[in-house]
Amino acid sequence: MEQVIVNGFYLGAQYALIALGLTLIFALMNVLNFAHGQMYVLGGFISYTIYGKLGLPFVVALISSGVTLAIVGALFERFLFRTVIKRSLREESTMLLAAATAFFLDAVILLLFGEKQRGVPKIVKGVYNDGNLIMPYDRMVVGILAIAFIAGFILYMKYSRPGRAMRALAQDRVAAQLMGVEVDRYTMIGFALGAMLAGIVGGLLVAITGINSGIGGPISIKAFLMVMIGGAGVVGGAIAGGFILGMLESVGLTVLREFGDVTYLVIFAALMVFLSIRPNGLMGKPWG
Amino acid sequence: MGEILNFANVELYYDHVYALKGVSLTVSEGETVALIGANGAGKSSILRAITGLRKIRSGEIHYEGKRIDGLDPSAIVKAGIAMVPEGRRVFPYMTVRDNLLMGAFTRSDKAEIAGSLEMVLGRFPRLKERFSQAAGTMSGGEQQMLVIGRALMAKPKLLLLDEPSLGVAPKLVQDIARSIVAINRDERVSVLLVEQNSRMALRISQRAYALTTGAIALSGNSADLLKDDRVQRLYLGGEL
Ligand SMILES: Nc1ncnc2c1ncn2[C@@H]1O[C@H](COP(=O)(O)OP(=O)(O)O)[C@@H](O)[C@H]1O
Ligand SMILES: [Mg+2]
Repeated sequence: MEQVIVNGFYLGAQYALIALGLTLIFALMNVLNFAHGQMYVLGGFISYTIYGKLGLPFVVALISSGVTLAIVGALFERFLFRTVIKRSLREESTMLLAAATAFFLDAVILLLFGEKQRGVPKIVKGVYNDGNLIMPYDRMVVGILAIAFIAGFILYMKYSRPGRAMRALAQDRVAAQLMGVEVDRYTMIGFALGAMLAGIVGGLLVAITGINSGIGGPISIKAFLMVMIGGAGVVGGAIAGGFILGMLESVGLTVLREFGDVTYLVIFAALMVFLSIRPNGLMGKPWG
Repeated sequence: MGEILNFANVELYYDHVYALKGVSLTVSEGETVALIGANGAGKSSILRAITGLRKIRSGEIHYEGKRIDGLDPSAIVKAGIAMVPEGRRVFPYMTVRDNLLMGAFTRSDKAEIAGSLEMVLGRFPRLKERFSQAAGTMSGGEQQMLVIGRALMAKPKLLLLDEPSLGVAPKLVQDIARSIVAINRDERVSVLLVEQNSRMALRISQRAYALTTGAIALSGNSADLLKDDRVQRLYLGGEL
């Protein structure tokens, strides 16, 4: 049982980080970033290229993933979402644009990196085993790094100047403008930051699960699930949703194993029931 | 005393429907000017035009002699115009403290910001009691004090207030009126006060403009307007 919880916690930390990026973009722009999973995949391939192929240190790979995705996010916001949001009168327009960016990134990734599953050498060798609990050291490192990133993100949102500006924008756009918050600037920073988080998780997890170009869509769907569980646009909700999904998956894979591959079927069914009772997820408020 | 705000022949549209059709008004340094008129007359639109929240179609807006229409809201705040929007609009999930600090977003001198915070908390002791509470959980009157305090944190030279008495308990309306007078006097802030509570607005202002469907219908000294027949009939009927 401890094993299941530890696995769930490890998975939950990665998921929470993915959901945080998605929920940040949603809170600031009311845009559901369909390309979030593709951004994760791109981060994974960048990390694979730099660490796995070029043999540079893993840290360098991770930073490159984060920086590249931050730039991609900033460009997407500046040249695509900003223009569409300013010019369109219907919310569907940004939804379609978001879907288009996902397909676009899928195509780019396939072109650049091919369709093979890729893996990298272990970042740390060895396995922790006390007879009761088994945990490879590399998973521990990745799990701890994910938690450090979550903590860093929370502190940044709470205490930094851009963090306060973004929280203000998410809570009341007009009031934030009246305080002198430059909407365009901080929306771009927010989108870049959200994309960066997706890229960092991809860059981290390539060390454990490897990466392949087909998993962007499924990762996006998991990210949506987490945000729906926790409540859209809320930091606490994204974290709760991430850990809950990680735990459900871990427990499901153990408990439901004998019934075949039904874990996600059960999760989806449970989510539908849950959402019909609590349509706003666990925490229906924006940006605490 | 010089003019701090000159709002000249401004036209403002929402899509194809006008909200202001050639409105002109001025505010002098140190003055409190009231802007009264029925719901939908265009009062908030005037404030939105000044702060740059809404672009104007024609006319000119000058602040301290410099043209500001067309500037970004953030540049206008930085220049010294702060606005307390209609319906309060606190940041509901931030503490009172963080709300107040957001008011000083365009300022960087930590010591001066701390000074302003002390001044605001001295003026509204209730905010001190609620300092670490989420703003959204406070009463309407407390939230109104918070947004006035938040606007003062920008250290404005011109303060725009949009219906500060709306949705506030009658007992607190007096307090808020007194605060506005005190702020105008002590902080040397010029005030443009939008109110549907015309009697209160006319009592605490030196001059006033009355607005009807996007145009100035009457203007003059507030004391005179309080006694004016047309004002009595149109704007003061049945109130308080
Ligand atoms: N965002 C908006 N979109 C369309 N019409 C608006 C909008 N805001 C205000 N109006 C219209 O403009 C006119 C003036 O509104 P406003 O300035 O808010 O008046 P007041 O503050 O005096 O009540 C009204 O007819 C109102 O319906
Ligand atoms: Mg109004």
